[in-house]
Amino acid sequence: MTGSYVSVSNYPGTTVEVYRGKTRLDENVFEVIDTPGMYSLSCITDEERVTRNLLLKERPSVVLHVMDAKSIKRMLPLTLQLIEASLPVILVLNMMDEAEREGLSIEVSDLEKRLGVPVVTTIAALGKGIDELKGKVSEYVRAA
Amino acid sequence: MSGQHRLVYDERIEDAVNRISALLSDSYFLSKRAVSLLLLQEDEDITQLVEATDRSSYEEISSIVEETKQAFDRPLSYVIGLTMHEDALNITERSVTRNRKMRRSFASVLSDLTMHPISGIIILLLVLYFGLYKFVGEFGAGTIVDFLEENIFEGYINPFLTRVFEVLIPWRWLQELFVHEYGVLTLGMRYAIAIILPIVGTFFLVFSIIEDSGYLPRLAMLVDRIFKKIGLNGRAVIPMTLGFGCGTMATIVTRTLESKREKVISTLLLALAIPCSAQLGVILAMLSVSFRALVIWMVFVALSFLLVGFLAARLYPGKKPSFYMEVPPLRIPKISNVLSKTLARMKWYLVEVIPIFLGASVIIWIGNLTGAFNLLVRALHPVMSFVGLPSESAQAFIFGFFRRDYGAAGLYDLQRAGILDIRQILVASTILTLFVPCVAQFAVMIKERGLKTALWIASFVFVFAFAAGAVLNVVLQVTGIL
Repeated sequence: MTGSYVSVSNYPGTTVEVYRGKTRLDENVFEVIDTPGMYSLSCITDEERVTRNLLLKERPSVVLHVMDAKSIKRMLPLTLQLIEASLPVILVLNMMDEAEREGLSIEVSDLEKRLGVPVVTTIAALGKGIDELKGKVSEYVRAA
Repeated sequence: MSGQHRLVYDERIEDAVNRISALLSDSYFLSKRAVSLLLLQEDEDITQLVEATDRSSYEEISSIVEETKQAFDRPLSYVIGLTMHEDALNITERSVTRNRKMRRSFASVLSDLTMHPISGIIILLLVLYFGLYKFVGEFGAGTIVDFLEENIFEGYINPFLTRVFEVLIPWRWLQELFVHEYGVLTLGMRYAIAIILPIVGTFFLVFSIIEDSGYLPRLAMLVDRIFKKIGLNGRAVIPMTLGFGCGTMATIVTRTLESKREKVISTLLLALAIPCSAQLGVILAMLSVSFRALVIWMVFVALSFLLVGFLAARLYPGKKPSFYMEVPPLRIPKISNVLSKTLARMKWYLVEVIPIFLGASVIIWIGNLTGAFNLLVRALHPVMSFVGLPSESAQAFIFGFFRRDYGAAGLYDLQRAGILDIRQILVASTILTLFVPCVAQFAVMIKERGLKTALWIASFVFVFAFAAGAVLNVVLQVTGIL
C-alpha cells in the first residue's frame, strides 16, 4: 500500500524486520508499518514479540489483521484477541481468489456482524480490494 | 455496527479478570481485560511491564494469578487458548462454508507429490540438478564467468587499468594497491563483478522462482522427519534454505525458530555445512570438471551436516520441537515479482560486498607490502600439508576469512592456474565449504547468539573443517577413488 518495495515471500516466516512506509489517504498522511507475522498475542517466537511490542509502543490508530483467507479458521483466534484488547482492528482476508478456488465461500457481512469490526476481502497481488480497504481505514480513523 | 464480539471464558477466569482489571492503571494501550488475560497466562514481557507500572498492586495481582492457576489442572494458557479456538470455530462454522465437491486441481496433485517421501526426493533432486547444477553451476559460474573474466576483464579492463596506473604512478609498490596480482581493481573488482556477481545473480533468480512457487514450505514438510532427528523441525528449513543464498541473512532468520536450542543448532549448521550461493556456485564450477568429485563433495558435506546436527541434538538436550506451518498453494511465479526480487537482492549484495572486497584487497596489499601476508601463508604451510594441499592454497583460506565467496573465488583462480589437481580441489572445496563463516555472518552470530556461543561455534567449525579435510584426503588416497 505504500508503494515502496517490500519483499513478500510465498511462505510464512520471512519478514523478521519491520518495514515502514508512508501513504496518503484523503488529506491525511499515514505511516504504514509492516510487521513480522504473529499467530497469537501471547507470544512464542521473537518475531511475535517484536510485533507485540510495536503494538504497545506505537499505539497505532488502525490495526490491519491481514490473513490468508483460506486459513481463517486457524487465524481467527488472534483477531478475537485483538478485539478483546480493544485495538482498532480491521480484518483483511487476503488471497480470496485462492480461497474461492478451493471452494471456500465467506459471508463477509455476517462475519462483520459477529465480530463487530470491519472485514475486507482482497487479492493484494492483483490490487483487488485495496481501494475498499483504504476507504474503510479512512472511515475508521474519522470515526475515532 | 453492532457491539464488538466478546469472548466469554470459564467463570473462574472471568472472575480473576475482573479482579485484576480493577487493580490495573489506565496506562496500557491494550484493554485491561487483555492485559489481565496475558497476566493469567504468565506472559513474561507483560508481567514485567505490569510489575514496573503498577508497583503497588502487583503483589495482589500475582496472588490472584497464583490462586486461579491452582483452580485448574491444565496451564491457564491452554484453557484460555481453547476457549478462543472454540469460539473462532463457532464463528467460522456459520459464516464460512466449503464446497467439497470441487475437482482436485493439477496443482494440488503436484503439491502432494512434492511432499511424498519418494516422489518428493526425486523432485528435490531434479530441482537441484537443473536449478543449481545446470543453471547456476554451468551457465552462471561457467558460461557467464568465462565471458566476463576472459573477454572483458583479462581482455580489456585489466590491461587497460594496469597501463593507466603504470603511467600515473611511478612506484611499483603503490601501483600494486590498484593493479597487478592483488590490486583493488584487478583482483577485488574482478572477483566481485566477474566471478561472484554472475553466480549470485543466477542463484538469486532460481531462488526467487522457487520461493514464489511455494515450493519451500513443501520441502519443509518433506524433510521434517529427518530434521527431527537432528533436533530441529521442518520450520528450520527456511533459514537453512536461505543459507544457500546467504548465511548472514539466514542466521538472522533463525529468529523465527521457537526455542533457543533450535536457534543454536541451526546457527551452528549454517556456519558449518551450508555453503552460501556465491561459494556454492564457484565450488560447483570447480567441481564440474569431474562429476564423481561433485557427488563425493555433496555426500561428504551432507554427512557432516547430519553427523554434527545429530551430535549437537544429543549434547544439547531439550524439548523436541513441534511443527506447525501453513502450506500456501503452489503457483506459477509472476515474472515481474521474480525479477524485482532478484534485482533487489543483487543490489543489496553488491552494496554489501564491494566495500568488503575492496577493503580485503587493501588489507592484503598492506600484508604483502609488509611481508605479513607471506609470513601467514608460510605459517599455514603445516596446516595445508596436513590436508595435502600446496601452500599457495593458504591464501584462498585467508581470503575466506573476509568472505566465503572471496575464498572460493581465490581457489577458483588457483585451479585455473593449474596449481591444484582434482583431488586437491575436492579437498580444498570441502574444507572451504565447512570452514568459518565470513566476517559478516560471524558478526550476526555474535549479535543473535552472544559472543560466547559464537566463539564456540567458530572454533568448532574451524577445527572440524580441517580435520574433516584431512580425513577426506586420506580416504581418497587410500581408496584411490579420485
